[in-house]
Amino acid sequence: MEIKKLLFVTRFDKLRFDALQSLLDLKKAALNHVVFLNVIERDKVAMRRGKGYEKSAEIRLREKANIRFIDWAETLFEQGMEVGVYIVVGSFASQVIQAAEKESVDLIVLSPDKKGRFEQLYSGSDITEIVHRSATPVLVYKYLSRKGPLAENPFEKPLLATNWSSASRRAIDYLKSLKAVIREVDVVHVASEKDLKGTSAMAIQKTRKENRSKLEDLCDDLEDNGILARPHVYIGDTVEEIDKAARECQSSMIFAGSPRKSLWTDRWGSSIGKALAERSVFPILLIPPKEE
Amino acid sequence: MSKKVLIVDDDPDVRLFNSTVVEESGYTPVEAANGEEGLKMLKQESPDLVVLDVLMPKQSGIRLYRVLKTDKALKGIPVIILSGVAKRTFLRSQKALTEFGDQPVPEPESYLEKPVEPEELAREMRKFLE
Repeated sequence: MEIKKLLFVTRFDKLRFDALQSLLDLKKAALNHVVFLNVIERDKVAMRRGKGYEKSAEIRLREKANIRFIDWAETLFEQGMEVGVYIVVGSFASQVIQAAEKESVDLIVLSPDKKGRFEQLYSGSDITEIVHRSATPVLVYKYLSRKGPLAENPFEKPLLATNWSSASRRAIDYLKSLKAVIREVDVVHVASEKDLKGTSAMAIQKTRKENRSKLEDLCDDLEDNGILARPHVYIGDTVEEIDKAARECQSSMIFAGSPRKSLWTDRWGSSIGKALAERSVFPILLIPPKEE
Repeated sequence: MSKKVLIVDDDPDVRLFNSTVVEESGYTPVEAANGEEGLKMLKQESPDLVVLDVLMPKQSGIRLYRVLKTDKALKGIPVIILSGVAKRTFLRSQKALTEFGDQPVPEPESYLEKPVEPEELAREMRKFLE
């Protein structure tokens, strides 16, 4: 599960070349190929009354994207990297999935959803759809400020959020494959109120102890694989607590397994990944389980 | 039989433009939409000249050029690079790949930056085909 090839999906406004440069430390973990994708959404070149299909608008948008990609590609080519480009017209999520499949990429990098909450109500979230339909991990990249990336290397000190599911296990394997770029990882499990067995102090502490013990085993396993790891048990609302843990641990990003299809509606389903992607200030890497 | 020119470019408009220039010059065009397809066509069609773009999906022109120029059977085929990527970048990237342990490759026979006038492309092709 190495990251040899990544798909960098950009609309140029929210995800710039400095974001990609902050990920180039992944070269230590086998990255040698970047594929750029710009999706020109249909409404930008749609049929207009009296005008028809705006071919000239499409050409302008394509060439603007091409000029930017040539500049970015030149920097990467000169570092000996392989670069590919797609500039396509169509629906955002479908085009991302198609390009990821055509190129067999190991990671998709994109910015948070452009759609507003109202638009998502009827057409859904692009990120949810991509994670739902693709077997490829998705990094939702975030900037701390307009000035630059959150961290020089977002993979340096991640927070791994685990709930012991198969998707979480894949996230752990994925993390192990990145040991060349990870300095330290904080591993968190968020117990919900309903997970607390009984009402006595001892029963509540027992829940903590059980989870803590599993986390310690996991941290030992990660340390055996050369990654320094610290366990944390948090309690409460999953999304809020993961975000809080990331802040308190001064993490550079969040890793989380993300179930697909039939598991989609469970508590670690779309709502957790989507909520983290929307609400957290941290970049989030969503890792689907293996395809069956 | 007229000489064969392989055009490797992901942009269908550019392929059409180049093919027209090739035909107007009295040669036969064959087309490929990316480096992977290009390599397949090189082996299948044995062209007399390649007009190669650099920035493409699947496999870039930089890698295809490297494969072509290190293959015993293919390395004699002249290559015109026709790209928006600067020649300086192309040469630096080949140098970087050589430094990473790949075999050194010679400079391309010709390098044209997009956009190109039809006469200019035709003139360059004639240099290698006549």
